[in-house]
Amino acid sequence: MKGFFRFLYELIGTPQPPSETPVYREVIFPNVGLLTIGLSLAMVLIFYYLINRAMGVATFNKLRHWVIFLVINALLAFFIGLWQTSSQEVASHSYVYWMSTWNAILGLFWFFLFSVLLKRGSTNASTTPF
Amino acid sequence: MHLTRSFPLLPALALGVLLSGCYSRSDMKGENRAAEPAVTETVPPAETPGAAAPTETPAAEAAAAPAGTGPLAQVNVFLEVSGSMEGFMPKTGADAANTRFQQHVAQFLSEVNRSSAARKTYFRIKEKPYRDSYQQLSQTVRGGIQQPASSTDIPTVLDTLVTGYYAPNSVSVLISDFIYSPKNAGAIPYISTDITDALNRTRRADLAVSVYGYASDFRGTYYPALKSGPKKITGCCDTAVPYYFWVIGPADAVRRFDAAQLEKQPAQQAHFGVKYPAPPTSLLSRFQNVGAWYYGEKDASKRTAGASYHTVAISKVSAKEPVEFVVGLDLQALPGLYRDLNYLKANLQLQAQDTDAKIVSVFGASDQTKNSSGAENQYTHFVKVRVTKLGAGARPVQLVLRDQRPAWVSQWTTKNDSNINQTGAKTFALSSLLDGVEAVAGGEQKAPVFTIPLTLQPAD
Repeated sequence: MKGFFRFLYELIGTPQPPSETPVYREVIFPNVGLLTIGLSLAMVLIFYYLINRAMGVATFNKLRHWVIFLVINALLAFFIGLWQTSSQEVASHSYVYWMSTWNAILGLFWFFLFSVLLKRGSTNASTTPF
Repeated sequence: MHLTRSFPLLPALALGVLLSGCYSRSDMKGENRAAEPAVTETVPPAETPGAAAPTETPAAEAAAAPAGTGPLAQVNVFLEVSGSMEGFMPKTGADAANTRFQQHVAQFLSEVNRSSAARKTYFRIKEKPYRDSYQQLSQTVRGGIQQPASSTDIPTVLDTLVTGYYAPNSVSVLISDFIYSPKNAGAIPYISTDITDALNRTRRADLAVSVYGYASDFRGTYYPALKSGPKKITGCCDTAVPYYFWVIGPADAVRRFDAAQLEKQPAQQAHFGVKYPAPPTSLLSRFQNVGAWYYGEKDASKRTAGASYHTVAISKVSAKEPVEFVVGLDLQALPGLYRDLNYLKANLQLQAQDTDAKIVSVFGASDQTKNSSGAENQYTHFVKVRVTKLGAGARPVQLVLRDQRPAWVSQWTTKNDSNINQTGAKTFALSSLLDGVEAVAGGEQKAPVFTIPLTLQPAD
């Protein structure tokens, strides 16, 4: 698991400053990765199963509504990155923002992936985004 | 040890009666080991009535107390009162000026008297040790020597201390000018051997000696060690004259006594056979770190408070992108000599393989490091190491502090003290005396003061 997240987050390069590497690899990457996957899954469930099935809202199933959730998800993923790095008190470095931005992009990906996997279970939005 | 000591008590006493009074170097050399306890018994002719013979009892007491913790069982202070010491302790004149020796030794005696050691005993050393009270000895220091001994022979004194007053958890402190005058010029080359023999006669396995050197103004007659020149120099001296505290005892007791009593004042020091616990050390990943490296320990990410790290994982290193890491050392528990930056700079070594790691600087804590919120605030000294080349796998690296004779010893040594005013504050054959100590207490191979194991490894 740690190895997977390490691979995923080191696609943009090794952590900076190098002295913080153990904290990033052992704590921050797994935390941020799991939180972001959980967040994306929750957002997908809310969009497809809560709003567009249980609540039976009929006017929130278009592509633009899905994009609103996608963007909110990405923003939250960015803040998860900032929150986790600051709570671990890593040395300040611009890498914190690069890593958070990368996490936002990963958030977009996870949201898209879960959407494709789970949209069929929704009554009102089974064809969103496509 | 107790059996062998107490068993031949009767013949020993008999021998003691026979031998008392014949206390000379020729005796020491002539006697074989069987006669040893005799010397032990003759040693304490206590002048104060009722004073217990300090040989057997403290040993029994100290055996019960675990070594290494709590106060010392016994501290014996020996003040040499031969004629050569009179200049340090001149009788108080009209100007009421005292010497630095008087000031210092009186203060030291008072500190020993206030110390937590269970028993404190005081002796004047003439040809034998004479038991004094604290008040008596302090008075001697302040008011001058009443009946100076003609001379005292250093090997004999050392032998007495090691034979009769050596006990676990106890130390003997000998205060003297350590001017050892051999009988004739032919004996000079054997000074170190004489000292070695004297200290080695009872073969104490953990014998340690700490030497603290001081210099004091001197007002009186100076007796040069060399008999070839003038026998004495009256109205001496224009220069300061060195005197020494030798702390003799088991390694652990000497270390604790030094730390408690002798580290407060600046002094020249040399230590033989004293062993020190490894100082707390750690790599510092957020203090003057350069290049791509991090703690290689598996639990480094936990960053437990107070944790220490000794593995450097290097992800990228080259001549253009060197790695620099700092090791923090807390040397508070070591004596001043080993905390001295000049000593550390000269004697700290990095032993490594397959890498060009080397020490680039050694520096002490500053206000900035002490007040920092980082881990560097725990350390008194820092060693910065630079690496530009690394082997393929993990390699052990050792940061070693060598135990070298400090430079002051040779600076304070003279081969001829018959002209002390020109020679300056030097002692005749001091380095030979210390050679003799080192042969006994230093061991075959001098162990380093401490060794800090580090690991250099490529990052995974």
